[in-house]
Amino acid sequence: MHIPDGFLDPVTIAITYMAFIAYLVVALTRIKVSREKIALVPVLAAGIFAAQMLNWPIPGGTSLHFVGGALAGILLGPFLGFLTLFLVLFIQCLVFHDGGITALGANVLNMAVIDVLVGYGIYKLVTSTLGDNRKSRLIGAFLGGWIGITLAGIACGLEIGFSPSFPYGVLITVPVMGIWHLILGVVEGVITALVVDYLYPRLPQLLLMQQSLSEGSQE
Amino acid sequence: MIGRRALLVIILLVLISPLFGVVLADMVGYHEPLDVAAEKLGLKEASIEWTPFSDYSIPGLPSTIGYIIAGLIGVGILLGIGYLLVKVVAEKK
Repeated sequence: MHIPDGFLDPVTIAITYMAFIAYLVVALTRIKVSREKIALVPVLAAGIFAAQMLNWPIPGGTSLHFVGGALAGILLGPFLGFLTLFLVLFIQCLVFHDGGITALGANVLNMAVIDVLVGYGIYKLVTSTLGDNRKSRLIGAFLGGWIGITLAGIACGLEIGFSPSFPYGVLITVPVMGIWHLILGVVEGVITALVVDYLYPRLPQLLLMQQSLSEGSQE
Repeated sequence: MIGRRALLVIILLVLISPLFGVVLADMVGYHEPLDVAAEKLGLKEASIEWTPFSDYSIPGLPSTIGYIIAGLIGVGILLGIGYLLVKVVAEKK
């Protein structure tokens, strides 16, 4: 899903950069968290970076790898989760040229904003509807991971489809990206659910959902 | 600081990553789909190459070893920046 250089036209580049910088500013001003929670950012960033290196090639020339945006959103919330993915994408782009510098705005928008927000939102919705128990956490994390990456893929299709530099229009790019991510995203959902399920009892202090929900109801 | 178990898991992921990122990828002739599309369409990736570690390779090293070292470099940088951030936030409070 990392868009390389050359795919986006200047207008798309400008819009996606502006959108991501706006979100970055909001995120930096909104982050109010305990030291314990922010201490998880480096660990999660390093873990997601390492997990993204595990490409599962699929004969036919494509592959999937875990993205982790929804996971970060579920564990750390929409702002710290964003910051975590942003760090990963920034280093991937600058140090390893994975994702173009002109496409950094779009890549951040897809994987650090959309995937994080959708994962966070769906998890929150499911756990607040079904009650905070293990089953609802598994379902919420699975759906969050799955739908998060699918919508991120669709956003990626929109960006390259609308960009005149890319010869195919949105009528082709959106279905192609959307359908692929809808299929492969099941794996993202499963991994997200398993990691949340594993971490939940072990790292209670970072479990934002429970924390922020109970904090919210107390306020 | 990072827990020992978390660090172990991350290092393990990096150590096995060439199996997926290099070995299996070569077996099925994998390239990043968007890169393939670019090639077919004659789009040029940036002509400016700003990093020696492009696509997780280390100049002069075989691709598997290079992939691992690149992974460790990435993990190291992220932990470094991350802890700097933690320190700044902690000091601000």
